[in-house]
Amino acid sequence: MSSSSPKGLSRIAANRLHKELKEWQMNPPAGFKHKVSDNLQRWIVEVNGAPNTLYENETYYLQVDFPENYPMEAPQVIFTHNPPLHPHIYSNGHICLDILYDSWSPAMTVSSICISILSMLSSSTEKARPVDNDRYVRNCRNGKSPKETRWWFHDDKV
Amino acid sequence: MAEPHNERNASSSVDSDLGNTTWDSGKQNAGSSSSGFDCNICLELAQDPVVTLCGHLFCWPCLYRWLRGHSTCHECPVCKALVEEDKLVPLYGRGNANSSDPRKKPPPTAYSDIPHRPPGQRPPPASPSSGQNHFNQHHAQSSGFNFMGPQGTGAPMAAARFGNFTFSAGFGLFPSLFGFQVHGFPDGNGFGPGYPFGFPMGFHGAARSYAPPAAVSDQQEAKLSRLLMFLGFIVFLYILFL
Repeated sequence: MSSSSPKGLSRIAANRLHKELKEWQMNPPAGFKHKVSDNLQRWIVEVNGAPNTLYENETYYLQVDFPENYPMEAPQVIFTHNPPLHPHIYSNGHICLDILYDSWSPAMTVSSICISILSMLSSSTEKARPVDNDRYVRNCRNGKSPKETRWWFHDDKV
Repeated sequence: MAEPHNERNASSSVDSDLGNTTWDSGKQNAGSSSSGFDCNICLELAQDPVVTLCGHLFCWPCLYRWLRGHSTCHECPVCKALVEEDKLVPLYGRGNANSSDPRKKPPPTAYSDIPHRPPGQRPPPASPSSGQNHFNQHHAQSSGFNFMGPQGTGAPMAAARFGNFTFSAGFGLFPSLFGFQVHGFPDGNGFGPGYPFGFPMGFHGAARSYAPPAAVSDQQEAKLSRLLMFLGFIVFLYILFL
């Protein structure tokens, strides 16, 4: 209970994150590992590429930061270190995925986000950066959050 | 000696822990939905529970905050169906120790910005007819309505309504229907003295054939026919005054 009520999280958000974490520990989504830490507000999640996909045997790390009024607002989810090469993942780790922004719903959980991301990875047919990667990354250079980006969600194939 | 003693202990502990068991499973499984009554937003056992028309359960404060503060359009967080606040169904359960009269309960301090959850939409109470006749009457009513409806005129329908309550009116207005009735009555063994007059023979058979002892369908039937009766009454009033 060392992290029972971290600063920056509302009581509701903290309760819900405790609950999610407990659920995760009992029933983690396949291919993911939560790296144990005291910080309830920032989760680091290890992602293992699914077998028989382009990302098989590759390991990536997701950083999930929760806003104060989570789950009413989406968490910020980015890849850290070496983001996977994917047409919807920018080299700064930002992910173009509608549920993380416009289509967020408070009924979603970290676990369901992870599954969506793994699904996005798994359905990729080519390892490539988004076409506008350089421009976008340049615009984000001063540490902009992907949640401040106005995303276009135009490709529902990958 | 020890065996029955243990057995009794086991069973009594199950009994006394019944409440705790559900509570624990809700807490420990932490949203794995073993209890099935967790709010879809806070993942706790729903407080002031409301159900959307799409069937998804939420705490009223959770859903209210989402609908008013954060959702771009009023949609169900689970399935994105349209959610209208006045169509939410509150759940009034029993056995919550700290809840007195739900209408008088002040909102918890943490939720002071949240208004009361929408009230239940209460249909009028059941009509005070009693026992078996109650059921039979309703069958007869709905049959009558169905039969009269397609004719397109309000008058026979009104007579049918009337017939349920006052025999003389049904008879007086539509003597010809009474003729059917005389023929039909000996057929309908199951119908008590309250059975209304003025219905064609064919429906006696029909009513009897779908009168199984299944209580649930009976209740549904009763509800439906109460609704139909209400509609009929409105039509009747309409005819009287226009």
